[in-house]
Amino acid sequence: MIPQLDYIIDKILPAFVTFYLVSLGHSIFEKSGILNLAIDGVFFTGTGAALLGAILPIIYNIPISPPVMGVLVATLIAAILGLFMSSVLTFLPISHGAVGLSLQFFSYGVGIMLGYYVRLAYGTIYGVSFAREDVLYLSIISLVIGVVLHLFIERTKIGAAIRAVGENPHSAAALGVRVMAIRIVAGMLGFALIGFGGALFILSWQRSWDVKLFTLGYGWLAFATALAAGRHPIVLIPVSLLFGGLVNSQTDLQSRLGIPADVAKLIPFLAALALMLIYSTTRLRRIFASPSSLGKPYYKEEKSI
Amino acid sequence: MSSPLLSVANITKTFPGGVVALDEVSMDFHPGEFTVILGENGAGKSTLVKIMYGIYTPDKGSIILKGREVEIKSSLDAIKKGIVMVSQIPQLVDRLTVVENISLSLTRIGMFETMTRVRRFFKEVSEKIGIKVNPDAKVWSLTYTQKQLIEITRAILLDAMVLILDEALTYLPMEERRKFYVYLNEFKEKGRSVILITHKIPEALEIADKIYVLRRGKLVGALDKASANIDKIRDLMFGEAAKTITYERFTKPYETPIGDIVLNIRNLVVEGDYGEIAVNNVSLSVRAGEIIGIAGVVGNGQRELLEAIVGLRRVREGRVIIDNHDVTNKGVKLTRESGVGFIPDQPLRYAVSADNNIVENVAALFSRKNFVVNWKSMRELSEKLINEYGIYPPRPEMHVKLLSGGNIMKTVVSRELEYASKALVAYNPTRGLDEATSTFVRRKMKEKAVNSKLAVLFASEDLDEVLQLSDSLYVMNRGVLYGPFDPVSTPRSKIEELMVV
Amino acid sequence: MRIVLVRRKKPLKYGGLVVALLSLLSGIFVFTIFAWLIGVNPYPVVETIVTTFIFPGVVKDFIILTLLGYALLIAFKGALWNIGAEGQMHMAFLVSIYITLIVFFTTEKSLPLYISIGVILLSIVAAVAAGALWGGLAGVIKAYAGVDEVPVTLILNYIAYFIGDILVYGPFRGKYVYGYARTDLIPDPYKLSIPVQRQLSGNALIDTVTGYMAEFATYAVWLVALILVLIFTYWLLNKSNIGLRIKILGSNPDYLVSLGYDVRKTMVLTFMLSGAIAGLTAALYYHGSLYRIEYPLEYNTASYGYLAILVAWLSMLDVYLVPLSAYIVSAVILGSQRVSSLPSVREAFTRLQLGGAEMAFKLLMFGSILLAYSILRFIQDYELKVVS
Ligand SMILES: Nc1ncnc2c1ncn2[C@@H]1O[C@H](COP(=O)(O)OP(=O)(O)OP(=O)(O)O)[C@@H](O)[C@H]1O
Ligand SMILES: [Mg+2]
Repeated sequence: MIPQLDYIIDKILPAFVTFYLVSLGHSIFEKSGILNLAIDGVFFTGTGAALLGAILPIIYNIPISPPVMGVLVATLIAAILGLFMSSVLTFLPISHGAVGLSLQFFSYGVGIMLGYYVRLAYGTIYGVSFAREDVLYLSIISLVIGVVLHLFIERTKIGAAIRAVGENPHSAAALGVRVMAIRIVAGMLGFALIGFGGALFILSWQRSWDVKLFTLGYGWLAFATALAAGRHPIVLIPVSLLFGGLVNSQTDLQSRLGIPADVAKLIPFLAALALMLIYSTTRLRRIFASPSSLGKPYYKEEKSI
Repeated sequence: MSSPLLSVANITKTFPGGVVALDEVSMDFHPGEFTVILGENGAGKSTLVKIMYGIYTPDKGSIILKGREVEIKSSLDAIKKGIVMVSQIPQLVDRLTVVENISLSLTRIGMFETMTRVRRFFKEVSEKIGIKVNPDAKVWSLTYTQKQLIEITRAILLDAMVLILDEALTYLPMEERRKFYVYLNEFKEKGRSVILITHKIPEALEIADKIYVLRRGKLVGALDKASANIDKIRDLMFGEAAKTITYERFTKPYETPIGDIVLNIRNLVVEGDYGEIAVNNVSLSVRAGEIIGIAGVVGNGQRELLEAIVGLRRVREGRVIIDNHDVTNKGVKLTRESGVGFIPDQPLRYAVSADNNIVENVAALFSRKNFVVNWKSMRELSEKLINEYGIYPPRPEMHVKLLSGGNIMKTVVSRELEYASKALVAYNPTRGLDEATSTFVRRKMKEKAVNSKLAVLFASEDLDEVLQLSDSLYVMNRGVLYGPFDPVSTPRSKIEELMVV
Repeated sequence: MRIVLVRRKKPLKYGGLVVALLSLLSGIFVFTIFAWLIGVNPYPVVETIVTTFIFPGVVKDFIILTLLGYALLIAFKGALWNIGAEGQMHMAFLVSIYITLIVFFTTEKSLPLYISIGVILLSIVAAVAAGALWGGLAGVIKAYAGVDEVPVTLILNYIAYFIGDILVYGPFRGKYVYGYARTDLIPDPYKLSIPVQRQLSGNALIDTVTGYMAEFATYAVWLVALILVLIFTYWLLNKSNIGLRIKILGSNPDYLVSLGYDVRKTMVLTFMLSGAIAGLTAALYYHGSLYRIEYPLEYNTASYGYLAILVAWLSMLDVYLVPLSAYIVSAVILGSQRVSSLPSVREAFTRLQLGGAEMAFKLLMFGSILLAYSILRFIQDYELKVVS
């Protein structure tokens, strides 16, 4: 095999799918108008849940491939968190930020509870991870998910409904949208994708798990990725590729360019900032603008102007 | 007599701050009837229909549809039960296209369906009632009236049993309005029911089968066609203040010599939101003490013209000279500081801060130069405006968003009129105001023009208003300004013709 | 039958305080049940949580978080979601370090008072300026390029961390650090804390009271700053024209436009004010407690910058409630730390084969109590009604 291809399969693609799925999930979630400051916590819960899920087929002799089970459990648990967050924030007019951040800490705790036992009992998780080449299929699957979601969001009625509740839930409700139902759909779907990404983070990219993982802030990096791509599922593809590549090749960059580690770490963030600055000068600015009601507490009887 | 299609019984609704918006209100709406609900600003009209449309939950009372008590949980629920409302403040989502907005209401469109069928439906109906709007335009690029037209199209598409129109017809262009009345008559014939809220009482009298009058949340009158007449209704609505209402021209006793040119517009060319030419080579001048009115159907460049004059929109060619200073493309700050009051289109969007109270809204304009706001004097000023314009409830600490549509408009108009010391530039200055208040505002504009030597330039989609108030008038059509005309001697038909050709 | 949410006609009497306490108690209650379910003895848990609320150790976090809470409050009032207090603090640290450890470095144990005060003041002013500039940078990017401020401030945090890392590894690395990647300790004359000696009496009540007094005395300067910042924030938001502009910016920037204000400048100014207070806090923290910074930088602030976001939001952007929510957040952090090291927690975790993961207990506790707290606060202004 050509060495470049090895590099792509081993390094770039696993990072890409992780970033792509997490930032895609975040984008869908926020398009419905709920500010997601729980992203890093949900991501970490996803990693812990994936670990637990991947072990289940072995313990209980379930005829499912362990990493697939890991993905299923991670998406399920993340979706439950999504259900909770989006329904509470739609039913009650309370601060999205406070709920999101508290939920972040809470789900760090959940993630540890889920993953720690497996980690102690089984140590290495190579055996339950995805095979090396699987990342190709995973990439294709996530790209398909992304493209399909994009089409749904831009073309269909449900997509219009998700954008509508993000822009102005009062008007949306008056038009006849079930704000609660739509936000729950977007919330569960969004978090499920974040959980999916979290699962791939450990089952395809890192192939190891540690309690301290949650201090590394990969979720926040995906947050920056999502916003650098204007929450646009298609634009997210190159941007996640860029970020995945940058993050994963930090050590290479370091040695190749002869720069200190911290300068190399800076690069993805500078790239995100640069990207956002670049598109802000173009007409994309309007398309990429945040939903107008993002983070605004919603109260049905509020008078809206 | 037939049994009612829809009734509300003993509805009570109190809002935070203890405002009793509705107090034991009962009304019946019969099939094949046109019901008009009247009342001054803040009387509770919108609150009542919002309850019928599932936006608010009443504290008390019941809603009876076809003889059965029902609960309307949401607007979707209302739509499914055949009740559709066109809101006073258009409830459309700005960053969605017209058809996307419409699709959200149509239960026959599947959740995973694209916009193809909606586009077709929309085109059919809009052709029928003669609405010219691009179905794929984003809603933010439309004017207030165009948004209302979209809402009307939506209501028709929903094929309602009960159609509620909350001040939705007032500013419809003549042609659309005629077509729409034809449609409404057909609608009635089919045994359906129309509920209309309006401040145009003569028009209401013409079309209404039944009239309800609300005052401060109480039902004070229920009249049918035979027993209703304009004086009686005005009396019920306004009490004493009814006598002040007039549509006579304010000529005498205000005839005064006119002063120097204050607003001088030279060959203005301005682009619209899509880069099209919205204002085409317009020139006009307004002198101190003079009121110039611009008549025209919505969307013919009036909004762009006024925005360009105050500096909110880029001027492509031509000059704007205020008080002998060239202010072309120099920004709003300069025009504001030179004493220009401005009432924009969509004042509720652009001219108030809804989460702040009245005093803060007033202070933002009047204390612009003070580092520390003199809250005491701002409060006094707000109280003065509240009293003068009858803003209700009369509380300076009231958050603006809690006021009724008309009362929000009053805070805007009173503030801008008070601020204007050189010129006033206004778009539909009495939009959403009740008759008594509208008369008051127009009289006030005239007084200020004469007494304070104010130059007033206003555009209005209401021709009566232009005729009543202007010293001389123009007609704007497709970005071109025609005129000036003398409002007394020019035949109305000629002006109307210029508006639409 | 269904449940609807309606706004209260009249706000609850003493609502702010009572509802805050009730929500807090319910959070603690729910969490205790959870603890009990996984086999932790609930009594010591409740006892530890509750006593942490009257534990002198809370004072330090409380003051810092209140100050930062005000910094963020100002930006949040303008609907500018500044999550960059961390970065603003770090830029401020760096200039304070430059001034105290490079320019005016001294090995003397004491200096004439006017020199100490002069250097400290200089460092504070520089830190305020640095915070304001770093905040202002976010403001400029938001205002003039139209980039959403949330990712911008987040990214600027990381950029600040890494700039700091590079400096601490390089030019700022101390001479007396035995190979550690960190700066020297701040010279004694520049320390702002007041050392307090205290004798324990053995009586819990008396010790708590003297404990608080000792903490307040130690951080007397911080306390003065806190009061000044509180007054300033109040004045700014309620009396001044700038504050009015900030509030309108938060509600409807279009109105500001049609009034002829410069919305962009208002945004930058708001961010600068916010960053300035964060910078001030950083200087106080450095001079009064941190004394040096270490590599990697993000661990120096105990996440104060992020916790302050919670503080500001939990206060529901009410000037008076900021100290209250800062106190609650400080107490819950400290409380969950103390609880997770209780023997009964360790035992339960070992039984669950999770020995060593007590950190999870801490995070769950911190998260769930604050979650309950942020959710239940709706009771203050709204009530649930059953309609049939
Ligand atoms: N959501 C709300 N919260 C608080 N008060 C409200 C709310 N909606 C309406 N009100 C109050 O209820 C009263 C009635 O308002 P409503 O909008 O029904 O008046 P209206 O008759 O439609 O007036 P207008 O002609 O000005 O539109 C007003 O005093 C208003 O301040
Ligand atoms: Mg109304």
